Amino acid sequence: MDSLQPEARAQIVRLVKSWVWIMCLGAIEFSLALLPVPHTFRPLIMLPGLAMIAGVAMFFMEVNRGPTIVRAFAVAALFWLFVLLVLGSCDPFTRTDYKVAPAPASGSALDGAVSMAIMPVSDM
Amino acid sequence: MSAETADIKIPAAAIDRSYLHDGTSLKSWLLTTDHKRIAILYFASITAFFFLGGAAAALVRLNLVTPQGLLGSPETYNRLFTLHGVVMVWFFLVPAVPVTLGNFIIPLMIGARDLAFPRLNLFSWYLFMLGGAITLWALFIGGVDTGWTFYTPLSTAYSKGHVALAAVGIFVAGFSSIATGLNFIITIHRLRAPGLTWYRLPVFIWSMYSLSVLLVLATPVLAITLLLMLLERLFHIGVFDPAVGGDPLLFQHLFWFYSHPAVYMMILPGFGVVSEIIPAFARRPIFGYKFLVWASVTIAVLSFFVWGHHMFVAGTSVYSAVLFSILSYLVAVPSAIKVFNWLGTLHKGYIHFDAPMLYALGFIGLFTIGGVTGLWVAALAADVHLTQTYFVVAHFHYIMVGGMVSAYFGGLHYWWPKITGRMYPEAWARIAALVMFIGFNLTFFPQFILGYLGMPRRYATYAPEFQVLNVLSSAGSTILAAAYLLPLAYLIWSLLHGKRAPQNPWRATGLEWQTPSPPPTVNFIATPHVTQGPYAYAPPAEEPPPREAHE
Amino acid sequence: MNSTAASVGFQYRNRADQHEAALTGMWLFLATEVLFFGGLLFCFVVGRHANPLAFDAAARETALWAGTVNTVLLLTSSLAYAAGIVFMRAGNSRRLMHCCWPALALGGAFIALKFGVEWPGDIAQHLFPAAASFKIGGALEGGARLFFVFYFVSTGLHGLHMLIGVALVIWIMLRARRGEFSAHYHTPVVMVGLYWSFVDIVWLTLYPMIYLVGRG
Repeated sequence: MDSLQPEARAQIVRLVKSWVWIMCLGAIEFSLALLPVPHTFRPLIMLPGLAMIAGVAMFFMEVNRGPTIVRAFAVAALFWLFVLLVLGSCDPFTRTDYKVAPAPASGSALDGAVSMAIMPVSDM
Repeated sequence: MSAETADIKIPAAAIDRSYLHDGTSLKSWLLTTDHKRIAILYFASITAFFFLGGAAAALVRLNLVTPQGLLGSPETYNRLFTLHGVVMVWFFLVPAVPVTLGNFIIPLMIGARDLAFPRLNLFSWYLFMLGGAITLWALFIGGVDTGWTFYTPLSTAYSKGHVALAAVGIFVAGFSSIATGLNFIITIHRLRAPGLTWYRLPVFIWSMYSLSVLLVLATPVLAITLLLMLLERLFHIGVFDPAVGGDPLLFQHLFWFYSHPAVYMMILPGFGVVSEIIPAFARRPIFGYKFLVWASVTIAVLSFFVWGHHMFVAGTSVYSAVLFSILSYLVAVPSAIKVFNWLGTLHKGYIHFDAPMLYALGFIGLFTIGGVTGLWVAALAADVHLTQTYFVVAHFHYIMVGGMVSAYFGGLHYWWPKITGRMYPEAWARIAALVMFIGFNLTFFPQFILGYLGMPRRYATYAPEFQVLNVLSSAGSTILAAAYLLPLAYLIWSLLHGKRAPQNPWRATGLEWQTPSPPPTVNFIATPHVTQGPYAYAPPAEEPPPREAHE
Repeated sequence: MNSTAASVGFQYRNRADQHEAALTGMWLFLATEVLFFGGLLFCFVVGRHANPLAFDAAARETALWAGTVNTVLLLTSSLAYAAGIVFMRAGNSRRLMHCCWPALALGGAFIALKFGVEWPGDIAQHLFPAAASFKIGGALEGGARLFFVFYFVSTGLHGLHMLIGVALVIWIMLRARRGEFSAHYHTPVVMVGLYWSFVDIVWLTLYPMIYLVGRG
């Protein structure tokens, strides 16, 4: 860091500090995973992970710098991902699934499909 | 000129010659980065795919002339309608207007010299050709029999067709779409001429922008879907196989998450083209510009929320089905608003029935019928009866063929003088437009009735009582074929013998008409400055007709 | 201004204009990648909902140490490259190279660990979902195989993106060595940095889904 301008040095320090923060968030996420959280709530363990992603986007990718449209694209991507995951889950999460006979040991899809014993769906 | 612009070099040939004459070697065409030449390359490819898909459709209709199936083999029939669907959806309808008219006109319309990423544009053509070649290879070495929808488990476990190869071809072509959409979005954001604010942009640009949002956000999901289907077919992993804990409906959710926006990808450019033609030939500013603009944007967003309506009888949950039904009704609203806007533009206009206008008017009528019948199938109770019948087939063909193909031909004729520097023969063009309208309705209206009566789709044979309507439909398809071959003939003729086109043959507004026909490579010698909104037509009494004299 | 720097396309007003367009374009491309991986995430969400016990049983078989080490490697690699961009912005091409080397090494270490150690380990333990015999049997076998389909497909696609990223970083290093970048022009450096950090973001999504959520 000998012939470094003060501005560049400050930016490097900022980068390293944000890396430390992201690592801390990672440690928190790791620790949460070891706690006995019930199955339905376990996806919440990813929340620190989302903060880490925000950190990478803000400090390594500088999403706040540059034209506004860049932030709009980032938000749009997340919004559409949200639509896919949430609206897409509406059906699987509210559907009644009927049990299927387990596949034979070979695990071949063809065999499994033929040996399926599905109960007919009564209405839509 | 500042140091920052010091290395922007414009070769003299880019200014003083039309783009058609700026380099005549094969290399200058195949390695071009000029958006206009790339549009021509695409024109050739798209036309070839259109006639290929059309030939498959002709054979499908031929088969359906007799209840036993004239071609004799259900296997062949399945491969034919799959070829028709795959080629028409991915290699004609989705690319058609964007890569030909879009590529050519967008930079001209916004006063730019090229797209934002010209080399990416060329690359996207090569990707399209590669994807097309792979898919055609699959279709010709034996074909695919799953339908263009590739439903599991037929596609992953039971089909003996060349599913994997076709999937790879479509996968590659998908990246071409993404590249095009990305290019358009960045171009429209960054390369607009000075003074061309967002609300001064022609509706065509807003439509292309909305379409591009769909291209870039939906197509990646198709990519991952095809990849998973491919892996399941090749390695028998069970992502879509219920016997191993997978879910066949998962395929349909992923597939339709792309494919419903895909149908809007196909129609939005059509909306844009019609929105340009109508003001020009009614000599009036567009009625309700902001409504049209925001309707396009709303369609782009809402189109992602309705995919479940393709799965009403697939076994999805009732709650999900109700939600998707409501959302499907919502998405019809902005489309309807557009129809009212176009009609409002025509009202008290000074209408001229040139060929582009005939196509645009046909679009409005046929699209409305298609759109309204979409509401019928969006109703859960009605859909239980109508789904997988010819009603649905007629519904989407009214939109795709009656709507989109009409708009494509309309735009082709409208911008033909600009692109080629030649006028097409007006009388023949009007005849072709009328023949198309008649042939189209004769082909597809009987199919509404057939579907309502219960004739299922994708079957090589049918109950004998449906024969009369089927024969009518097949007869109509021969007229429709003639209507498509006519433009092929006279447009090619016009390239050689057509009257030379003036800069603005239609006396239309729009920056694309402020440059010679055909334009020089650099589009505009001096960057245009925009000071007024689009469609600044004078009141009808003062506004001259679009052309000086009809031929 | 460096004479070997790329000239500006004639559709742009100036170099800065072209840079902004490239930046915007790259972010839009990354948005498409979000939807690409998003489709896979959707499969995971649906699969986990349908096979809760099997997914948890399968998750316990993943190599937590390898995933965690890889996360640290990737984040540090991102830091190194981002530092390189800071130096390049100040005009220091040499220091960019000095930062690219660790970025490359850490990325290479990730690839080596994942495909050279972790994957072979998983396969040796009969965790490959398309194989005839699978480590977890009985009622949970189907769902567990499904989990590992997701595991191999997502880490495989991610690894493919890493390989492309490594190639891009090498390309940047070669161009930097030829003196093609300056304080006024270093657009490709920024582009590759965005891509590299994005690949990191994808990993930060996959890591908890694969290694942490099921480990109850």
